[in-house]
Amino acid sequence: MRLQAVGKRYGLRQPWVVRDVSADLAAGRLIRVSGRNGSGKSTLLRVVAGVSRPSAGKVTGRPHAGYVPERFPGGLPFTGREYLLHLARIHGLAGGAGARAVGEWIDRLGAASYADQPVRSMSKGMCQKMAIAQALLPSPGLLVLDEAWTGLDQAARGTLDDAVTERVTDGGTVLFVDHDPARLAGREDERWQFSDAGRVTILAGPAPQAAPQLKTVTVRLETTNTARTLDQVRAIDGVRVISVDVQGPDAS
Amino acid sequence: MIALLRYQAAILLRSHRWIFPLIGYALLISVGAAGSSSLAEALDWTGAMLVPVVAFLTRAMLTAEPDAARGCVAAAAGPVRAQLATLLVPLGGGAVLAVVAVLFDVLTAQPASRAPASGLFGKVLAAADHPGIVAGGLLIALVCVLVGSAAGALCNPPLLRHPGIAMLSTLAAIVLALVADVSPASAAIGHGTAQVASPLAANWPGPWSLAGAVCLVAVSWTVSVAAAARRDTWSAGAE
Repeated sequence: MRLQAVGKRYGLRQPWVVRDVSADLAAGRLIRVSGRNGSGKSTLLRVVAGVSRPSAGKVTGRPHAGYVPERFPGGLPFTGREYLLHLARIHGLAGGAGARAVGEWIDRLGAASYADQPVRSMSKGMCQKMAIAQALLPSPGLLVLDEAWTGLDQAARGTLDDAVTERVTDGGTVLFVDHDPARLAGREDERWQFSDAGRVTILAGPAPQAAPQLKTVTVRLETTNTARTLDQVRAIDGVRVISVDVQGPDAS
Repeated sequence: MIALLRYQAAILLRSHRWIFPLIGYALLISVGAAGSSSLAEALDWTGAMLVPVVAFLTRAMLTAEPDAARGCVAAAAGPVRAQLATLLVPLGGGAVLAVVAVLFDVLTAQPASRAPASGLFGKVLAAADHPGIVAGGLLIALVCVLVGSAAGALCNPPLLRHPGIAMLSTLAAIVLALVADVSPASAAIGHGTAQVASPLAANWPGPWSLAGAVCLVAVSWTVSVAAAARRDTWSAGAE
């Protein structure tokens, strides 16, 4: 997927909200979009997700997209499950596959107890879960999250973190905005930094805020099976084995 | 597209926004049927009153879905198809209303033949003797449904987002559609007024009124869809 000199403004006499953004969105990338309030992040996310057309430039090669808006205020005359079933069909999931995906995401997000309530009567967090579930239903190749974590309980935030990781591992592209610098810290492949006047600077690698979290720690482990223990240590999330010094009787 | 149509139709039905247009239409065609002296005349009225009903049904549909929900659908299916479904559902609703209303006229209007018909069955037989009258009535209804849809699409979000301005211009567009000579709806209804003298004459809308209505819908829908694909929020003063 590629953005070519993409710009967006809401009217010919209006200022540019997003200006001249060119980027390749490679598969398997996690991209954090950051900037001040009102700097144009949400607008760029909507253009990337295909919700609205750019006023200048073009977007090509967009995979099937799931989009979680900044606020999902309910106001729909459905229950949560009915809404998700409609959205599953719109995402192209027919009959049984749609119902299965809906049930799975309701369970994973911990929304089973109120999924059959009218969306109108749901709290902010419950509505947000419906918005997240609809975006994840089709396992989209492009996932766009506009402050999707806001209002979620701890468990659902963890589920969403996991879902983002799954999408990236499956070769999907994920773009997200979140004002918490610790959100997915250290895992992003790119940062798109908004400066004034809607211009975007693309930086590789995690945000500098995440840097202090990277520490080198020497750990001494006693084991009878060195290779297996090393595999287990490598499998721990966030741990990178830099060097190994094997000592003792079974050293080989 | 079928999934989108089902979703939009469910929003319209479950939000009960169809009730006022439906009750209004039922009242209007009852009055019209009581006041007309022939089937052709009743069918003229039935068609004409579809213009406001479909325009307001279109307005109801265009204002029913919250911005955020529309965004999710647009990402899934594209903003163009999403907006087309939003416009197609009230058009289809209008078409169903039109068929029901024409049947109602056939059953209740003055018999189409000179011989007094007895009972509902007799009236259906009388109308069947003059299929041109019913066919002409259906064509008039079609023109009016299309014109009503065009008025609703042009005068409501995403094109006109301020609620007051949108309501007033929808009303103005309806009045214009029904009285202005250039309007396909008024041309379709007025075409046969010269023949009112004979209650047996079918009132055919001119071919130009049908072509005009199709063009009007094509242009207004194109403008509405283009605006839907460019605008993110439909509430007035936002952005």
